[in-house]
Amino acid sequence: MNIAWKEIKKNKVRFLILGSIIFLVSFLTFIISGLANGLSQDNAALIKDLPDGQFYMSTAADETYNLSKIESPIQDNMLNEKKDAVALSIQMGFLNDQNGKQQSVAFVASTDSKLFEHVKDGEVILDRSMKEKGIKVGDVLTNNQFSGKWIVKGFADDKKFSHAPVAFVNIENYKDMYRTDAMQLVFVPGEEKAQAAAGLQAFSKKEFLHTIPSYSAEQMSLNMIVWFLVVISGMLFAIFFYMMNVQKIGLYGILKAIGVKTSTLFKMMWTQMLFITVLALSLSVAFSQGFKMISPDGMPFHLTLETTLQLSVIFLVIGFIGATLSGVQIKKVEPLQAIQQGEV
Amino acid sequence: MSVFTIDEVKKTFTNGEVAEEVLKGVNLSLKEGEITALVGASGSGKSTLLTIAAGLQPASDGKIWFEGQNINLMNQEQIRKIRASKFGFIFQFAHLVPFLTVEEQLTLMLDVSETKLKRQEQQREIDNVLKLVEMDHRKNAYPSSLSGGEKQRVAIARAIIHKPKVLFADEPTASLDSKRSKDVMQLIQRLTKTLNITTLLVTHDEEMLAYADRVIKMSDGLVS
Repeated sequence: MNIAWKEIKKNKVRFLILGSIIFLVSFLTFIISGLANGLSQDNAALIKDLPDGQFYMSTAADETYNLSKIESPIQDNMLNEKKDAVALSIQMGFLNDQNGKQQSVAFVASTDSKLFEHVKDGEVILDRSMKEKGIKVGDVLTNNQFSGKWIVKGFADDKKFSHAPVAFVNIENYKDMYRTDAMQLVFVPGEEKAQAAAGLQAFSKKEFLHTIPSYSAEQMSLNMIVWFLVVISGMLFAIFFYMMNVQKIGLYGILKAIGVKTSTLFKMMWTQMLFITVLALSLSVAFSQGFKMISPDGMPFHLTLETTLQLSVIFLVIGFIGATLSGVQIKKVEPLQAIQQGEV
Repeated sequence: MSVFTIDEVKKTFTNGEVAEEVLKGVNLSLKEGEITALVGASGSGKSTLLTIAAGLQPASDGKIWFEGQNINLMNQEQIRKIRASKFGFIFQFAHLVPFLTVEEQLTLMLDVSETKLKRQEQQREIDNVLKLVEMDHRKNAYPSSLSGGEKQRVAIARAIIHKPKVLFADEPTASLDSKRSKDVMQLIQRLTKTLNITTLLVTHDEEMLAYADRVIKMSDGLVS
């Protein structure tokens, strides 16, 4: 007989309250995690969405990409040697729209590569968030440093850098704007190990992300919030399972007295914990994915199903550990003590 | 025929540096189909003796023979198996599982005792025992909706459903009024005789001694 299920059926309210707490806490963690990832995407989606590989910048730049200059001969040499390699530059700047209103953007120019938008001379492709600011395909945009004009060719999804929408410009336009022939970076996709190159320093994608000003500090704070939430949630789970077990000490004692195995009582507790936690987490996953669909477009919210499932597994493991630790009382409970305590 | 023998059983409780000997070498034999009542003043050691005999706590010294084995030398798992399959318990309070119906209380006990009955046989057994304790009309009721006497009748049904060899009853009528106490004792007497169970009963109530085959008086940790 499944006594775990019988208890849930009879004490619906008690288990509903426990399930609600697990649901609310995990839902909160998913939402905060979505916001943290959203901010992270907002800061560096342009880089994060690239495949793994190696970034090269000049050693003299002291790990600051916008001070880097890779001279043309070195750059050409690298691009010739590595078929998929791409040279690129990123500069924060402004675009003036047709009404003369300034829009903050990150200009990105690159050599031909399927990893970056291909734009012709005088054209610009913008992150889709610019569309919400009223910019349309065909609009003419200008910049004080650029002698020409750009016509908006289209929009790209999720192309953000340093919390600004990316504006992909042609490499010649970039050179004109910043009066330089040298690009800042060379990216070699798929390269696991950095190749030695004179005057260049190599960074993995993760290392390069941390050279972006404020990225590390921001991510550390956000990750701290998420992990604190996970730890606090775990403690909450353990406390609630503990409280439930304390309430049932007398019952466990009587069951042991009539000969129920301690392992059966643990199985009963684990079954209940798994049932409640899985149900609450499934609801949380569904609600958080639903929230992703209805969250305002301007809100930096990025929550993949993979992330929620990973967090769910962590919650399950924490819940299991919490329940098991609190279940130590089951092992300790003396049948005689429960009998002498009176009616359960 | 003696089915249960208590041989020179001693029990000492230690509280800090103070040691108190509650049982000072008790000898007792329980006979098949008989109710043996233990009586005595509070602190005489009768409940301690019952719980030791039932394997709910160990003796400090002595032997408890059941089916050729000394229970006092068994490990926890061996004692649990005997408690589940060979012993039945009736306590002062019914101690029913609050989230199980009357019928489910008995199903649980059959599962715990690992009686290899098929579902239909199990159901028949439950129906029979519930009829025996006159609780068949309440088989779908939860403990919260039962009266004190009804709860105790269910507890008795749970104690005998797996056909135990020995029934331990510790003050089974203490929480009941006079009429219900008599009903419960008549029931224990009837079941002991019908099912040929060996019953060890602890009671304060002298009126209940009329239902016992043998009365053993205890005082100061010894059978007198």
